Amino acid sequence: MNALFCPSPLEWHTLLEYWLGELDPASEVRTEEHYLDCATCSGRLEQLTALAREVHAVTRESGVTVIVNDQFVRRLTEDGLHVREYRVPLNGSVNCTVAPEDDVVVARLEVPLKEVKRVDMVYTAGQHEMRQEDIPFIPDSGAVVFSSRIDALRTLPSSAVRVRLLSVDNGSERTLGEYTFNHTRHASRGSE
Amino acid sequence: MSLPDPETLPDDAALARRVGRAAPGHDREAEAELCRRLAPRVRLYGLRHLGGDAAAADLMQQVMLLMIERLRAGALREPERLASFVFGMCRMVVLDLRRGHARRERLLETYGETLVPEAAPPPSLDRDRLAHCLERLPERERTVLMLTFYDDMPADVLGRELDLSPTNVRVIRHRGLARLRGCITGESR
Repeated sequence: MNALFCPSPLEWHTLLEYWLGELDPASEVRTEEHYLDCATCSGRLEQLTALAREVHAVTRESGVTVIVNDQFVRRLTEDGLHVREYRVPLNGSVNCTVAPEDDVVVARLEVPLKEVKRVDMVYTAGQHEMRQEDIPFIPDSGAVVFSSRIDALRTLPSSAVRVRLLSVDNGSERTLGEYTFNHTRHASRGSE
Repeated sequence: MSLPDPETLPDDAALARRVGRAAPGHDREAEAELCRRLAPRVRLYGLRHLGGDAAAADLMQQVMLLMIERLRAGALREPERLASFVFGMCRMVVLDLRRGHARRERLLETYGETLVPEAAPPPSLDRDRLAHCLERLPERERTVLMLTFYDDMPADVLGRELDLSPTNVRVIRHRGLARLRGCITGESR
C-alpha cells in the first residue's frame, strides 16, 4: 500500500466498533490487517483513541453538564472520585453547595416517568432560563440523574436554582416535577 | 516545512525489501523509517488488546525488534505481505505478554533499545474546545458519547443501562461522533 494514501478508508463507525470490541472476530481481523498496513486508517484510529481519552478526561473533571445514570455515578465513586450527591424528592428542595474536595456533583430528581414519551428539563437561575430538550431517561428508574459542570457550580453565587421536568407529547406539555436547589457558595470561596 | 509527496515515498514493502537485501544492520535508514511508520500502528493494536499504555509500549517495542530481526534474516519472502507478517507477530507477542514470557530481554540484548523509536506523542486535543463541543451536542448524543468513552462501553452494555437497543445506541453514537468531530475540526458550525 502507498505510504500515505488509502483507496478504501475504514469508516469511523467501524473503527469505533473495533475499539469498543463490538466487531465479530472476522471483521476484527480484517480491520486490524487493514490499519496495520495503512497510514490513513491508523491515523484515524489514533485520532479516535485520542478523542476517547479526552472525553474520558472531561467526564472525570466534570467539565460538562450531562444526564447520567445510577450505574455511572457508582463507577465514578469506585474510581476514587469524590462524588457529592443530592437526592431531591418530587417537588422538593435541597440545600446544597460544592466543597473544594468535590470532584463531581450529581443531582437525582425523583419523578414518575411511566408512560412518558419525552422529557425536557428547564433550569431557572434568577433571570436566566435554559431548556434542555429530549433528555435521556429510563421510565422504570423513577428518577432523572445529572452531573453538573463543576466550575460553573464553584463560581455560582449563593442563590436558588429551580429545575422543572416537563413531559412533552404531541406539542403539549405538562410539568412532571419541580425542584429547588438552595445553593450556598462554599465558605472557602466566599471572599473570592 | 513542506510535507513529503506521497507519490515519491517508498511504500512499506519497498522498505522491507531494502532491509532484506542489505547486509544485516546496513540499511539503518530503511529500518528506522519502517519502525517510525509501523510502531504507532502496533501500539494501537496493543492498546486495544492489552489495555494500558505501558503494555502497549512493550508490545510495540517487541514487535519492532522481531520485525527487524526477521527482515534482516530474510525471513519475509513476500514483502508485500509485511502487514500480515506484523499482524501475526502482534498476535503472538500479545499471547506471550499475557503469559509473561521473557523474549524481550533476549532481543534487547541483541539489538538494543536504540533501534526502536520512542512512541510518538498521541495527537493532542484542546480540552476546552472539546468541552464546548460536547456542550453543544443534543442531550442524548452527549450522554451516550460520554458514558461510552468513560469506560469504553460497548453498545449492548450501555443500551441495557439506558433502556435503549444496541442499534439505537450505535445510531445515536454515530451521529454524536460525527457532530463532535465536525465541531472540533471546525467543519461544522
